[in-house]
Amino acid sequence: MTELTQTGAAVSTMKAALTEVLGQELARSSDVLVLGETIRDGGAAGVAAGLFERFGSRQVIETPVSENAIFGAVLGLALSGFTPIVEIYSADFLLAVANEVVNDIPKWRQQQGRGGALPIVIRGCMGANGGLGPEHSQAMEPYLHHTPGLTVVTPGTPADAAGLLRSAIASPDPVVFLEHRRLYDVAGPVPTDPGHRVPLGRAELVAEGDDLTVVAWGWMRTEAVLAVEALAREDITADLIDPRTISPIDWDPILASVERTGRLLVAEETPITGSVGAEIVARVVERSSRPVQVARVAMPDAIHPYSAAMERELLPTAEDVARAARQLVTRRWEAAATKAGQETNEGGSAC
Amino acid sequence: MSATDAPTGEQLLSVYRTMLVSRAFDEECMRRLDRGEVVPHFHSGVGQEALMVASVAPLRPEDQIIYTHRGYGHLLAKGVSVLEIALDTYNKTGGTTEGLGGLMHVNRPDLGIPGREGVFGTRFGVAAGLALAEQLRGTDGVCVCFYGEAAGARGPLYEALNMSKLWELPVVFVAENNGWSFTSRTEWLYPTRRMSDAWTGFVDVEVVDGNDPEAVWSAVTSSVERVRAQGGPAVVEGMTYRLDPHIWWDDASYQPDAEIAAWRERDPVPATRRRLTELGFASDLLDDLETSARAEVADAFERADAAPEATWDTARERGMV
Repeated sequence: MTELTQTGAAVSTMKAALTEVLGQELARSSDVLVLGETIRDGGAAGVAAGLFERFGSRQVIETPVSENAIFGAVLGLALSGFTPIVEIYSADFLLAVANEVVNDIPKWRQQQGRGGALPIVIRGCMGANGGLGPEHSQAMEPYLHHTPGLTVVTPGTPADAAGLLRSAIASPDPVVFLEHRRLYDVAGPVPTDPGHRVPLGRAELVAEGDDLTVVAWGWMRTEAVLAVEALAREDITADLIDPRTISPIDWDPILASVERTGRLLVAEETPITGSVGAEIVARVVERSSRPVQVARVAMPDAIHPYSAAMERELLPTAEDVARAARQLVTRRWEAAATKAGQETNEGGSAC
Repeated sequence: MSATDAPTGEQLLSVYRTMLVSRAFDEECMRRLDRGEVVPHFHSGVGQEALMVASVAPLRPEDQIIYTHRGYGHLLAKGVSVLEIALDTYNKTGGTTEGLGGLMHVNRPDLGIPGREGVFGTRFGVAAGLALAEQLRGTDGVCVCFYGEAAGARGPLYEALNMSKLWELPVVFVAENNGWSFTSRTEWLYPTRRMSDAWTGFVDVEVVDGNDPEAVWSAVTSSVERVRAQGGPAVVEGMTYRLDPHIWWDDASYQPDAEIAAWRERDPVPATRRRLTELGFASDLLDDLETSARAEVADAFERADAAPEATWDTARERGMV
C-alpha cells in the first residue's frame, strides 16, 4: 500500500489487503489466532505471508494436514473464547471437512441451546484459475448457501475484501470467507483506516442503469463490470449489484432494482444446476409485483478439466454476460442466455 | 500410577452414590420402555457406570469433558442434575437444551461440559481445541474426551492424537470398549479387539478394567495429572460391557444371553457395594444410598413429566436461540 489514490486510500492487491487486515487483527487482540497448513510460509496463496515472523507460533499456528481435527479444534478454541481464523488450503477441501463446517459448527449453538458468540472465520482460495483441475477450481458458494447458520462471503474487490474480512472477524457468527484466486493480484484502492469495515449482508450497487439488473459476485463481478461497460456503449444500461455476502443475501436492493427494470440476469462461476443464481431468480420472481424476464449465465454442469484452454470454454466471461443481457433486453428468448443453456440447446455436453 | 492416585474410601462412596443415580435413571427409562412408552434418544449405560463415573469424579471443576451418547454417569459426575437430564429427555422447558438438543446434547459449560457433536468423531478435534485453549491461556485445565467403538474408528481420532502429541496438549482420550458397536462386535471392527492398540507406542496408553471403579479412578487420575503437568495426550481404554440394548427401540437380540449373564456377574454396581462393605461402610448406609438414588430419580421424572413442553418461545426467553 504505497501509492495514494484518494484521501484515506492506497492502491493494494486483494492479497496484500487481506494480509494487512490479518496483521492488524492479530495485533489488536492476542485472542485472534490464524491457523492453517503451511501457514508459517504464508499459507496456500501467501495471504498469511510474514505473519508467523511477526506474531510467532502462539498466534500463527502451523497445522498438520488434518482438516477434520483442525476444524474441530477451531470449534473448541471458539468455545474457549478465542477468535480463530482458519485457512482451508483450497476451498474445495471444505467438502473433506464438511462434517465440521456444515454439521457441527453452524449447528453447535442451537443444538446445545446456547446463544452467544461463536466467532470462527474459515477463509481460503477458490475458483478457476487455469488448469488447476476439478478438485482445486470449484467456486464453493453453492455448496454452502444451503446451510443455515453459516455466513458466506465472496469479496469482489480489494477494498471489499479488507472491509468484509474485518467484519467477518468481528462477527459473533461463523463465517466462510471465499477468496477467488483470480482476484488475489487485482489491485484497487483500499481505505487505509484500520477500522474500515464493509458490513456483512449488504450488497453494493456497482453501476446504475435502467434496462436490466445484473447480479454478480466474486470474480464474476469483474466480468460483469466489463460487460456492463460494453453494453453502455450500445445504449443498454444496467444496474449491477454485487451482493458480496451470499448468505444471508441482501434481497432488498435486488428486488428494488428488478421492480424498476423488470429484467434480471445472474452471472456466476458454478455449474448451473442448484446454483445460487437459481435461488436469486426464484426469490425475485416470487416476490416481484411485476412479470420479470430472467437469464442466467453460469457454467454448464461440467467438471473442470486440467487443460486451461478446455476449461476456458466452460467459464462464463464478460462477453457471455453481455450477450445474455442483449438477448434479455431484445427478448430473443429462442437463444439460451447461458453457456449451459447453449450446450443444452445444441444437444451436446461439455464433458 | 501411584498410590496417591487411588480413591479414598469416601471418594469411592461418592462414586458409588453417582453410579446408583445413573443406574436408577436408566432403570426408570427401561421401565417406561417396557410400558410401551417412548424415551427419545435414550441410550442405557447399564453396566458401564464404573467407567463413566470413576473417570469423571476425580476431575477438577475447571476440567472439561466431552461425553458419549451412552449413559448419563459422566454428566451426573460432573454435576448436572438428574432433573435437567430428565427435562432434556422429554424436551421440556427448564433443561439444558430447551428442546433444541434434547437428551443427546445435554451441556453445562459452567461445569466443564461444553456440548457434544451429532456425527461421532468431531469430538476429537474439539477436545484438542479445548486443550489447546488451556495451553494458549497458560491455564492448567485438562480435557477428557470419551468415545466408543464408532467414533474411535474414524480418522479424526488419529488427526487429533497426532496434533495433541505434536503440541503436547493436556487431553486424555478415554475409550469405552463395551464389546459392541450397536449390532457389531468390537472384534469385527478392531483387529485386536482393543480400541487402543493402534496408539500403543505413539502415546501413553493404559488399558484398565472398566468395571472396577478404583482401577478406573487410578488410571484416569494418573493420566490426567501427567498430561496436566507435562502435556499429553494419553489414552485410557476401559474394558466393560453394555448390559442393556443399544438404544431405546433396540431389542438386543444379537447379544447372546449367556454372554450377558456372564457380564452380569461382573456388574459394577453390586461389585462396588461389596468393595465398600469390605472397606467397612455399613449396610444401612449403602441401603440408604440406593433408596435415595431411586427417590431422586423418581422425583426428577415426576417433575419432568409435569413440566411444560419447551417451545421456540421458551427457547428465546432463555436466550438459547
